[in-house]
Amino acid sequence: MDNRGTEGHRAGHSAGMGEHKGHVSPMTDLNIAVIVERDENGESLIRELQRQRAGVRHIWPLPAQLPLQYDAIFCVLSSDLPQRIPWVPGEPSSALVLVDDGKGPLNLDLIHNCAGHGMLHYPATSRMVQSVLMLAREGFQYERRLRGRIEKLDESLRTMRLVERAKALLVRLKNISEEEAYSFLRRQAMEKRVTIGAVAATVIDSYDLLS
Amino acid sequence: MQGNAARIPVNDRQTSEPWRVGILFSRTGFMSVIEETQLRGTLIAIDEINDDGGINGRPVETVIYDPGSDVRSYGQYAKRLMVEDGVSTIFGCYTSSSRKAVLPVVERLDGLLWYPTLYEGFEFSPNVIYSGATPNQNSVQLCKMLMERFGSRFYFVGSEYIYPRESNRVMRELVRSSGGTVVGERYLRLEADRSEFTPIIRDIKRVQPDVIFSTVVGESTTFLYQAYHDLGLNPKSVPIASLTTTEAEIRAMGFDVGEGHYTAASYFQNVETEKNGNFVDRYHQRYGDDEPTNMCLEASYFQVKLFARTLEETNSLETKLLRNSVMGAEFDAPQGCVSINPLWGHADVWTRIGKANRQGQFDIVFQSPAAVKADPYLVGYGRCMENF
Repeated sequence: MDNRGTEGHRAGHSAGMGEHKGHVSPMTDLNIAVIVERDENGESLIRELQRQRAGVRHIWPLPAQLPLQYDAIFCVLSSDLPQRIPWVPGEPSSALVLVDDGKGPLNLDLIHNCAGHGMLHYPATSRMVQSVLMLAREGFQYERRLRGRIEKLDESLRTMRLVERAKALLVRLKNISEEEAYSFLRRQAMEKRVTIGAVAATVIDSYDLLS
Repeated sequence: MQGNAARIPVNDRQTSEPWRVGILFSRTGFMSVIEETQLRGTLIAIDEINDDGGINGRPVETVIYDPGSDVRSYGQYAKRLMVEDGVSTIFGCYTSSSRKAVLPVVERLDGLLWYPTLYEGFEFSPNVIYSGATPNQNSVQLCKMLMERFGSRFYFVGSEYIYPRESNRVMRELVRSSGGTVVGERYLRLEADRSEFTPIIRDIKRVQPDVIFSTVVGESTTFLYQAYHDLGLNPKSVPIASLTTTEAEIRAMGFDVGEGHYTAASYFQNVETEKNGNFVDRYHQRYGDDEPTNMCLEASYFQVKLFARTLEETNSLETKLLRNSVMGAEFDAPQGCVSINPLWGHADVWTRIGKANRQGQFDIVFQSPAAVKADPYLVGYGRCMENF
């Protein structure tokens, strides 16, 4: 954060290019950090993002650590970029678009190691900027949803075991059928407005307490 | 012809370039007692491989980092290994929290972590080979034996992190479903010092359980057993049972302090196999006769040997090839014949229960007839463990 560059350029300043046709750009209101040299290519990238009504902040020179609080980051590819990325691969905080200025030789290992979500090559056209940003955001969010789904599945597995145990307890203690035990748990969950897992945990805990 | 020759990729069998692998064990901090032995197990195996001429004529070269028992450092060093050192195969981690810190890195960059530690189960990753035991390979038998020999009132003591909480969840399930009760449950921070254990032992004396089930790990293991000893409790009537107290911890706490307590593990130094005899001899030659082996060291050792045999077949460190090739593989380890369960990528390991003796070794009081199939999600144990 110590190397914050020039003033931020907020959306809206250069709006009204007449291309939206009543359709709101998916980039509107995205906060985007652009970490590139402000040469002709850099200027045109920033302008394009502003034209899409994104909130753009230009940062230069390359900071020791990339900032964390943006929806997307465009960052020039440099050989030490992986070390400047503050998150570990697999747990990104933002969608990351690598910007290749085309000056050095292509380094696929470096690109792999950055674990980014997209790649932009200079000179970048408007179509390229828009599509890479959209795909990068989608990929980033999709990964995040999948990770969430895995967490949820893990949790469900545990909950199922809890519910089964609570059921077995109820069957034994209250001398009821399995179906009745399940419906007891469901009813309690509905009345108390908590999850069935929480009810099951309470049943088991209170049994532990009483015995 | 000659013009094209330069473009043909160099045949791997003709190069003598080393195979580079990464190693992540803490030599410093509160986890160093056990992780130091895991590092040794890893390095002994690598030395043996290199002394035998390497793998397909190429030696194994290590890149080693010491994460200093700091969970975040495991993730950062895993990244450094893969990104800066160009390594994709990593041997390492003891605690579940450190494994979970490495997980996203190896999953995103497609590396392969070989994890040589028992853990609480309920995990699967296409980028990890698990070579330690999961609950169906240690807790189930341990609980059964304790109930038969000592009684049904269990007191849980653990370190405050994922593994103890999750292990106790499984253990509680086992205890409850066989008619036992959990009469106390306490957690202490990982860095807990000696004085923090005294109130817990006092509470245990007051509650009078039949068994203390400990999931305390690291340096503070010593403090728990010593506090128990100092306050005059007797392991003959209320032993401490553990899944993590190995020969290494017994040595650190003192043989007289450890005597009479129980541990369930896939391996003890006392295991009588030919392979183990040689393994223990070599270990003693290298580190001295009074340095014991232990289950985590053994898993660290055999997983590297298994890796080497796999690499010999694939002749490539590519994660997908290595993983596919190791699935279902059998290996004659010091603990006996083990295999990598192709369904889960977890090792099928032996179940044993040992009782610590005055020499700091474990007398084996139970042993499974063969390696027990890994079942990390306890799929085959019924949702309420009715059939255990």
